[in-house]
Amino acid sequence: MHLNLYRRLRGDPWFVLGAGLALALGLLLLASPWLIRHDPYAMDFVPLSAPSAQHWLGVNDGGMDIWAELLTGFGNTLIFGLFTGLLGLGLGVAVGLSCAWFRGLYDLCLMRLADLLLAIPAVLVLILLAAYLRPSAWLLALVLALMAWPTSARVIRAQALTLQERSHLLAARQMGGSSFYLLGRHLLPELFPLYLIGFAALVRMAVFMEASLSFLGLFDPGRKSLGMMVGRALPYYYLEIGWYWLLPPVLLLTMLLLSITLLAVSLEKIFDPRLKEHW
Amino acid sequence: MMSVLWRRGVVYLLAALAIVYVGYRLPGLLPGDYVTTVYGGAEVVLTADQEQLLRARYAAADNFFSYLQNLLLLDWGESWAHKTPVFTLIMAALPWTLLLMGGAHLLATALGMIAGVEAAWRRGGRLEKAGVGSMTLLQGVPELALGVVLLLVFSYQLGWLPAGGGLSAYAEAGTGGLLLDLLRHLLLPLATLVLAWFPGNFLLARASMVLVLRQPFLVTARAKGLPPWRVRYRHAARNVLLPLVTRFGLRLAFMVTGALVVETLFAYPGLGTLLYQAISLRDLPLVQGIVLAAILALLAVNLGLELLYGRLDPRTW
Repeated sequence: MHLNLYRRLRGDPWFVLGAGLALALGLLLLASPWLIRHDPYAMDFVPLSAPSAQHWLGVNDGGMDIWAELLTGFGNTLIFGLFTGLLGLGLGVAVGLSCAWFRGLYDLCLMRLADLLLAIPAVLVLILLAAYLRPSAWLLALVLALMAWPTSARVIRAQALTLQERSHLLAARQMGGSSFYLLGRHLLPELFPLYLIGFAALVRMAVFMEASLSFLGLFDPGRKSLGMMVGRALPYYYLEIGWYWLLPPVLLLTMLLLSITLLAVSLEKIFDPRLKEHW
Repeated sequence: MMSVLWRRGVVYLLAALAIVYVGYRLPGLLPGDYVTTVYGGAEVVLTADQEQLLRARYAAADNFFSYLQNLLLLDWGESWAHKTPVFTLIMAALPWTLLLMGGAHLLATALGMIAGVEAAWRRGGRLEKAGVGSMTLLQGVPELALGVVLLLVFSYQLGWLPAGGGLSAYAEAGTGGLLLDLLRHLLLPLATLVLAWFPGNFLLARASMVLVLRQPFLVTARAKGLPPWRVRYRHAARNVLLPLVTRFGLRLAFMVTGALVVETLFAYPGLGTLLYQAISLRDLPLVQGIVLAAILALLAVNLGLELLYGRLDPRTW
């Protein structure tokens, strides 16, 4: 199955483009310790100086090297997205599978909770939290994951319910396999494609939200991020200073979201066209 | 039908209560004393009278039910920065947001649906492939980037359109001048939102339409000799509305974020900009009021959509 999967993915131009972009961005992130030549938090230089050999992208209003700021912010944004995605997916898988397996009251309660959370817009809750508490990125990731699990949980639950009726699973159950064994050995791996799709959707949502919130100045102000850089650079652009400051974070953010979106689109297309557009 | 109405209604009511409760509890979660924490910075200096007034106000809301009652009576507190009731400020900014978001949504949906239907009709053609390709790419670009690029090109490099605001300070007196000024200011934020929302609608409309086109009832419609546009729009496109409505509900929260970012970017005088300013000034009653209003409006719209969905597709009831 996995060889076949590889062949199908390789044949999809969106996947190739998205994966190539993701690879390039990943390499950039891995290489950033060597590429950053200045401390991104140190205010050592002449504020608002244009790009030069010393400062590839110039210096911001606080006297910080923009190139160093850009790579640090990019890393922060990406790590926030991946962490939130993993957390949300973990919750979604745990809830979705266990609901499909145990059903009954447990299922009913969790699914009504999912309805409730789906009705509440996460962004606005995050804004409310951030405005009052100035929480850390980790706390925001946790809240976001806690609010975002229902979508993947529902998809996984629905798929697991149909899967349970397949003959090999019924046979395995008849032979006396324990719940733990059946779940871990049969159900969990067979839904693998759904995890990929759900993960891509969650990471995309998290990156998008982090960028929006930090642009609005609602993330930890001491933490570098691409959205925050855009928000800081914008007023200076009105004064005709620093296109070199505004464009790089915008471009990098676009490339990041583009690669996630392309990967998500191709994964959906390949695994389950019916899931299209559910995020 | 009534039972579905009840079930959905209860879910939305619970969601609303939960969120209002969060809003009620949040001020209390602030470390230390509320008033000192908020006014502790150097930005605002309080007189003793003001401080007492503020303390009194936040002591008053110590009961969730009285808080709820005040909300229902449209007493949303008073903005610290504007010294005006929060509800009045929200009502003043709301028309701008409705104009921008409503206009962008109508355009993005109508254009997306027509383009999607036409693309599906020409499936396999070069135009369709180019459309799907470019829209898939555009789908991955965030509003923030679209807005910045439009701003750079049309406002700064070309100088064709104003960079921000809703109206010029001294817009021409006549109605024509005022309207033109309004439109000129609306164009860039509107274009950003339409560009951000159009691709998804287009791709979804096209995908649903491709499925519909295979259905036997369309063969019948064509066999009856109906003109092609009638087959396309009266018979086939009706079925595309359903997924579009669903998508709208699912994406509503994202749309609000997008509109928030775009309003801030273009300093458009709607709720988003009001919220942004309130956040920058730490005008917490205003932040809370706007966010609560937005959440309650979203819940109401979502409930409405679910009911509409039932009308569009009687099978779901």
